[in-house]
Parts: sequence; C-alpha cells; structure tokens
Amino acid sequence: MGTWLKNMANGIVRANPTFILLLGLCPTLAVSTSIDNAFGMTASVLFVLLAANVIVSALRRWIPNRVRIPTFIVVIATLVTIVDLALKAFVPPLSKSLGMYVPLIVVNCIILGRAEAFASKNTVWQSIADAIGMSIGFGAAIVLVSFFRQVLGSGSLDVFNVRLFSVPGLADNPASIFLLPMGAFFVLGVLLAFFRWMGVSDCE
Amino acid sequence: MTVSELIAIFFGMALVNNMVLSKFLGLCPFFGVSKKLSSAFSMGIAVVLVMLVASAVTWPLFHYLLVPYGFEFMRTVIFILVIASLVQIIEMTIKRTNMTLYNALGIYLPLITTNCAVLGITFINIDQQYGFLQALVAALGAGAGFTLVLLIMSGIRERLDLADIPRVFRGAPIAFIVAGLLGLAFLAFGGMVG
Amino acid sequence: MAKAQGGAYPILFLTLVVLASVVALTLIDGVTRERIAQAQRDEVQEMLATLFPEMSAYELDDDTGIYTILVDGDPAGHALMSKATGYGGPIDILVGLEADRSLRGIRVISQAETPGLGAKIIEASFLEQFPGLTLDELALRKNGGSVDAITGATISTSAVIEGVRQGILDLDAEGGG
Repeated sequence: MGTWLKNMANGIVRANPTFILLLGLCPTLAVSTSIDNAFGMTASVLFVLLAANVIVSALRRWIPNRVRIPTFIVVIATLVTIVDLALKAFVPPLSKSLGMYVPLIVVNCIILGRAEAFASKNTVWQSIADAIGMSIGFGAAIVLVSFFRQVLGSGSLDVFNVRLFSVPGLADNPASIFLLPMGAFFVLGVLLAFFRWMGVSDCE
Repeated sequence: MTVSELIAIFFGMALVNNMVLSKFLGLCPFFGVSKKLSSAFSMGIAVVLVMLVASAVTWPLFHYLLVPYGFEFMRTVIFILVIASLVQIIEMTIKRTNMTLYNALGIYLPLITTNCAVLGITFINIDQQYGFLQALVAALGAGAGFTLVLLIMSGIRERLDLADIPRVFRGAPIAFIVAGLLGLAFLAFGGMVG
Repeated sequence: MAKAQGGAYPILFLTLVVLASVVALTLIDGVTRERIAQAQRDEVQEMLATLFPEMSAYELDDDTGIYTILVDGDPAGHALMSKATGYGGPIDILVGLEADRSLRGIRVISQAETPGLGAKIIEASFLEQFPGLTLDELALRKNGGSVDAITGATISTSAVIEGVRQGILDLDAEGGG
C-alpha cells in the first residue's frame, strides 16, 4: 500500500508531468481557456492514461521488444478514438470546445512516456497508481492555468455554467490577452517560475 | 484553386495561424531543441519534410480508403501509424544514402513521431476540407511557420543564456514568456490573409 | 512465458493488436454513430431556430447547401451558410430569407475577428440592422447603403456585408423551393 501511494503521489508533485517534466504541453495551453475545458480534458486524459497503463502492464510479458512502441501507439490511439467518439455522442458542447486536441492526446508525451517508462515494467496495480497520480498532477496543472486565464481574461469564474465569483473591476474590462494563446504562455511561464521559487523543482 | 488562394493558405498556416504560437502544436521539441540555432534548423527541415510526406500519404488514404468504406473513425489510429512508419522509413533512407545528412538530422527524426504538429496538420487538412494540393501547401506553410518560430526562439535563447535573468526564471519559465511575447508579435500578421 | 523473439512473432503480434483495435472501434462506432448524427442535426436545428424561432423542421438540399424552413410542413423561408473572408480569417454567416425573398436576418456563426473591435459583429446591436434590407441597401452607409460600420472595424463590417450579399445572390440563383 505504501508503494502504491508513493507511486501515485509521484505523479502529483515530484514528477508533475506539466510543471516538472514539461510534458503534454499542447493540450494544457490550448484548452486552458476555461475551467470546464480543463476538467473535460483531464477526464479524457485520465481515462486514456488509466486504460493504457492497465492494458500495457497486463500485456507486458507478451509485447515483443521490437514492436513495443508501435503497440503502445495503437493501444493509445484506439483509446483516444473511443474517448473522442464518446464525447461527440454524449457531450457535444465539450467535444466542440476541446476540438482536435482530444485526438491529439495520442501524441501526448505523458501517456506514451508512462507506458514506456512505467507500465511496461510494473504490475497492473502499480500502473493504476501511476496513472491516477499523473492524471491528478496534469489536472491540477491545467486547472490552475485555466483558473488564471479565465479569471484574468473574462473577469469572472464560471464552472459548468454556475458563476462562482466575479472580480469587480475586471469583469467590465477583462484583460482578454489571457484568453489568447500568448496568455497561456505567460501564465505557464510565471507559474513555472513560482514553483521553482517555492523550491519544488530544481531541474533545468 | 487559384494561386492566390494557395498563397493565402501558405501564409495563413505559417504566420497567422502559426502552429506553435497560436495552435500550440509542436511544443515538446520546441522547448527541448530550440536552444541552439543549428539544431533548430535541422529540426525544422526534418519537420517540414515529414509534414509534407505525411500529408501526401494520409490525404489519399483518408479520402479514397477510409471514407468510401465508412471507416472515418479509424482516422487517428491509421494516421499516427502512417506517421510513425514514415519517420522510420525516412530515417533509414537518409541513413543509407547520405551519412552527413543523417548525422545532422537523424537524431531528431524519431522525436517527430510524437510531434503534435505533424499529426495536427494531417487532421487540419481533413477538417478544413482541403483538396490534395491545398493540403500539401498547408503542410508546407505549417512546417515553414514551425521552423521560423523555432529559429527565432533559439536565436533569442542563445542570447538569453548570457543575460542576467532571475534564478527562478532561468530556463523553461523565461522561454515560455518569450514565446508569449513572440506570439504577441505574430498577432500583427492578423489582417494579412483577409 | 518465453517471449519469442523470432522473426514472425513481432509482426504477428502487432497485426493482432491492430485487428483488435479495428474491432473495438467498429463496435464503438456502431454504438455512437447515430447519436453523433443526431447531435449534429440538433445543432443545425438550434442554429436555424435563432433566426426562425417558429420553425418546426427543416430540409437541407445537399447540393446547394440551402435549408428550407418548414412550419407545420409548409415552407416558410430559406437559409444558407455564407462564407466571408474577414480580417482575421473566415466568417461563417447564416443568412435567412422570408418566404417572399426579403431578408429575415443574419447570424454570425463563427468568426476570428479582433476581440473588442471586429468581433462586435456578433452583437445584437450590429445584427439588428439587417432584417428587411434590400440588396441595394446592403452596403456601408458611406457607400450609399444603410449599414453602419462598427467603429474601427470597417473591414470586418464590409466582410459581413459582402458575405450577406453573396448569400442572397446564391439563394436567388438556386431559385429556392
């Protein structure tokens, strides 16, 4: 149990995929315009990562070394397509917001990276821990970025169409730059510096 | 398909809707490779090459094989497999025919398989309902835009390394902020294609 | 279990994996295809309803892209998606005509104009200028028409006007149902 929790916690802080490993940046920046999108993307990544880790780990003794990467890719691509179709069918508005970034999860370095670095070498049970931890880490990062972008860029915070709060001066004249791509870069850059200042990361 | 329309697609992809700065595609290699000007250039060339060939292969595959049989949903799986195979083939071909080229480009090629920009452009070609020629031009533009931004970033980063930056910002954080500023500058291309 | 490193096994394995993928996805597709199609139809219906709230159904002519609006089975108007080239990219405009061919109104479905300036083309205050305008009136006021441009966004405004004009011309050309 100790190892399981340790593996899970690893993905949240020490090896946070977004802030430390700098993986999976494409979706983080692209869909972080609203917290709803962030939650949707996190849920999608969680599903794919969890299923991929489980499948790869379960099959790890049978996967021939030579076709290891293509196998991972096909498994992940299939799972991603399942999520994409499911979203289109059951939650069309979210599917529209996330757009092509859902299928692009297949090249998200986080998932391929975990399959290669962890799931193919560990038990199913531990791989589940890793998947959950990494997803929480990723989710925390993308929600954090979205929080700042949405509040600064539109002056208020709406989650699932429920207005949580509004910043008085900002709501009338939001700094819409934060909703534009460069806003994402700024927020992420500042957050990275912030975490480093807090002593959380020490690399690069 | 007029020439001016093709030119519009090219510049639209390269500048107005730049792959990295406005579509957020191709970020992983962007931050990893962009520290030296020469490696940035090699990566850029490799990416353009793969984008072109990938578009040339996936477009007919989608329109003449997947669509007629109702297998559009296999798009993601097939496209990524095609790209992965293409990268392997290109790498082997270069290795056999031109050792110097291989030494310059070779190491970056495998990285391109997971480059969101390559898969991204193949998706865009379909979603925008481009014809074959338009798709090729779009790929060329996207690759050119990617290379351009990569070159600019590495030039800036080479200088940043010598600048006096607060410790917490060194490396990744300042790179992102610079990318943001670059994106801001690229906004100026906004009305270009209108 | 010994992992066979022999030549055929890896290829066989990969082929099996791909086959499993095709089977799994075909199954999922079977389950979701109809739902997705329905979701798309609902989306179109919602979009048309913004111009024709009384609409009960619509018909789409695939060749011309013209929607015929039906109220209780009778044609009550037509609509068309028109593509204009705006300042920041393409603008998709829904142009609606009454049964008597007069302009019902327009809606901007998608645009990439500058926020705060050209993007104001989606606002009601801009759009409500259009209902009832004739082709001659569809021009900037400074060019003799009746449309007031958005301050600082003449290009976006002109793009919309051009898109609407083209839409009306296309609808007229097809004759309509």
